[in-house]
Amino acid sequence: MNSLTNRFSTTGPLSELKRAQALVENEEFSDSAWGSEAGFGSLAKGVPNFTVPSVPDPSAFLRLHTDDHADPNCRIKIQHGTTTLAFRFQGGVIVAVDSRATAGSYVASGTVKKVIEINPYLLGTMAGGAADCQYWETYLGIHCRLHELRNHERISVSAASKYLSNLVYSYKGMGLSMGTMICGWDKTGPAVFYVDSDGTRLKGDLFSVGSGSTFAYGVLDQGYRWDLTDEEAQELGRRSIYCCRTPRCLLWLTLEDGWKFIGNYDISKLHYDGPGETPGAGYGYDVRIERSTAAPVAVQA
Amino acid sequence: MRLMKSCLKSVCALGALQSSVEYALEAVRKGTCAVGVRGKDVVVLGVEKKSVLQLQDPRTVRKVAMLDDHVCLAFAGLTADGRVLIDKARIECQSHRLTVEDPVTVEYITRHIAGIQQRYTQSGGVRPFGISTLIVGFDPHDTKPHLYMTEPSGIYSAWKANAIGRSSKTVREFLEKNHKDDLSREESIKLAVKSLLEVVQTGAKNIEISVMESYGKITNLDLAQIEAIVAEIEREKEAEAERKRSRLAATAAGQASMTSRTTEGGSGSSSEINVLLVLRFESFEIVYKEQKLLRSYR
Amino acid sequence: METSFAITGKGYVLVASDTTAARSIVKMKTDEDKIKVISPHLLMAYSGEPGDTIQFAEYVERNLRLFHIRNNYALRPSAAASWIRRSLAQSLRSRKPYSVNLMLGGFDVTTDTPHLYWVDYLGTMTEVPFGAHGYGAYFGLSLLDRYHNPEATLEEGIETLKRCINEVSKRLVVSPEKYKVKVVDKDGTREIEL
Repeated sequence: MNSLTNRFSTTGPLSELKRAQALVENEEFSDSAWGSEAGFGSLAKGVPNFTVPSVPDPSAFLRLHTDDHADPNCRIKIQHGTTTLAFRFQGGVIVAVDSRATAGSYVASGTVKKVIEINPYLLGTMAGGAADCQYWETYLGIHCRLHELRNHERISVSAASKYLSNLVYSYKGMGLSMGTMICGWDKTGPAVFYVDSDGTRLKGDLFSVGSGSTFAYGVLDQGYRWDLTDEEAQELGRRSIYCCRTPRCLLWLTLEDGWKFIGNYDISKLHYDGPGETPGAGYGYDVRIERSTAAPVAVQA
Repeated sequence: MRLMKSCLKSVCALGALQSSVEYALEAVRKGTCAVGVRGKDVVVLGVEKKSVLQLQDPRTVRKVAMLDDHVCLAFAGLTADGRVLIDKARIECQSHRLTVEDPVTVEYITRHIAGIQQRYTQSGGVRPFGISTLIVGFDPHDTKPHLYMTEPSGIYSAWKANAIGRSSKTVREFLEKNHKDDLSREESIKLAVKSLLEVVQTGAKNIEISVMESYGKITNLDLAQIEAIVAEIEREKEAEAERKRSRLAATAAGQASMTSRTTEGGSGSSSEINVLLVLRFESFEIVYKEQKLLRSYR
Repeated sequence: METSFAITGKGYVLVASDTTAARSIVKMKTDEDKIKVISPHLLMAYSGEPGDTIQFAEYVERNLRLFHIRNNYALRPSAAASWIRRSLAQSLRSRKPYSVNLMLGGFDVTTDTPHLYWVDYLGTMTEVPFGAHGYGAYFGLSLLDRYHNPEATLEEGIETLKRCINEVSKRLVVSPEKYKVKVVDKDGTREIEL
């Protein structure tokens, strides 16, 4: 009887203790309030919560409303036809993306940026759902800054990518769609991590993501070496994006003291003239063949 | 009126907080002494071991705990509280690796531990941890050793050398006098042992030394090694005392010759001092034995 | 396609896994290590749903490490395998199960015996003299049934492993090109170049 009263009374010392314990263990004094969770304690309460459609399979539901092959009148158009690539070399990391945001069958914007500048040291590329990438990589940026403030040092690329990977993994199976490369420079040197919405996270030297990635790999794999010069590396980035037939190509270079934007190239100009101002030095097949027949010495890529 | 009441309440709460943290600090002051010394590329933890009872297994009483491959913690105060805090810290170390792949930095885990300690001063129904901790280690991708201290209130701070627990003030003052920058491995160990000897009368068998030389490289010195260091320190002290004695004798002799007495008188006074010293030492021994007796009754 | 093999021998367990990380038709990476050293005398090869594999493997790794630090000794292979199986079985009954297949090779230093456990994503666990996961299992298991010898020396064990790998390369349409091989014995774990 005594134990029963103890258990259900709201005033006794035992219940007070219980309340106090509850307060200590989970309430506003939770780990995140003072910076646990590996320093990623959130602004308010952990990972943001979304209302997921109350259907048994959220991703099937999402597919139904986004698949414009099956239903051209679908409500949400997902971005298709993307090429993004990033590779590590002795001089840093080259990040190159195409510039064409298509939403279904029409081009939404010709100048949309498929690289998200997470902070002055980190770049994230964008393939798959543009909203998903934009939202989560911006969110990652908030936490990278918080990490800096708490730990008095820049976050490592490995930690940032791991954080993003854990985030998207917690939403696995709910229709998130993103394939991204987190690029930057930390204590270990230049680094590239591939993270996607499956929860895969890979460390590597070169990656390409998007529907054009297979074409980009074809050029990239053949021309890639660790000891490329800065100029060669930029050229390789441009050529790899060029081969995916997109209107424009954007190029970034990540260095020890942060990334810098190299340029925005017009693909048709690259086709005929190349990146410089020399007519006839273009990347195009016909331009190249014409050049090699004119001068017997083949111009090396 | 209501405002006043709430003000009164918070003032009372503040008073209660102060007293409960005071109690915790009191527990720390009663705990066995722990010393941390940071050298050039080494960091040393030394702790005073309580003398184990005759039938007790000494291996079950450990005061230096490994939190992760590269971080060690020593504490002073309530051992049971220490155990709980250590476990929380160990979980955090692994959890940190799980979330960001990198191991914790020493400052991070210190902040975490201090955070837990602070939390337990801020709510009703719980009492603060009755321990202070010394946390040592190396950060990943770094060669600089670190030494931090946390207190029951949740304060944390970085140090070149520090002591916590019984007579920590004496030991800290000793360290302040004797610590130099860029100590070598041997010097750091010696300084740790020497400072501990300020409060540990029973010598090597009640001292435990852990040395961390680089990321993940920790060695615990065994009894023979510590005994050798203690013996060396004793020898040095002896030599120092000898020098003092001879200096004293010389001055005494000088005085004697000044007052134009015979040289026998000089040597006589020196042996008198010797006797006095022995006497003082013996009386000290007796006091110490009494203390020990008292402690065993308690 | 993902493939892993493991065989026991005289005082050792050999664990081999391919090193490709693929996404649709593209190999994203060809030097991914899919065998984790989860305690001084325990190896775990994992395959299955991308994302789940690494998340589960790291979860196991960190928990076993925590056990080691707390208790000053590592779990024995049989105990570790039981704990891992149980974690997997518990997750199977949750809202979001891990779908991971495992091969656990360990050396029990208390009894000086090698142990190999085959675990699948449904939480089935069994101790086996040799085992395989993935498409390679269709070719490798019959081969091992014919050629495996539990008393083989390390050199002979490596030869048998090479037979498996060669067979898979010969017959499987999309066979992996590279394998990582690790061995666990009384001296701990180490990597072996084939």
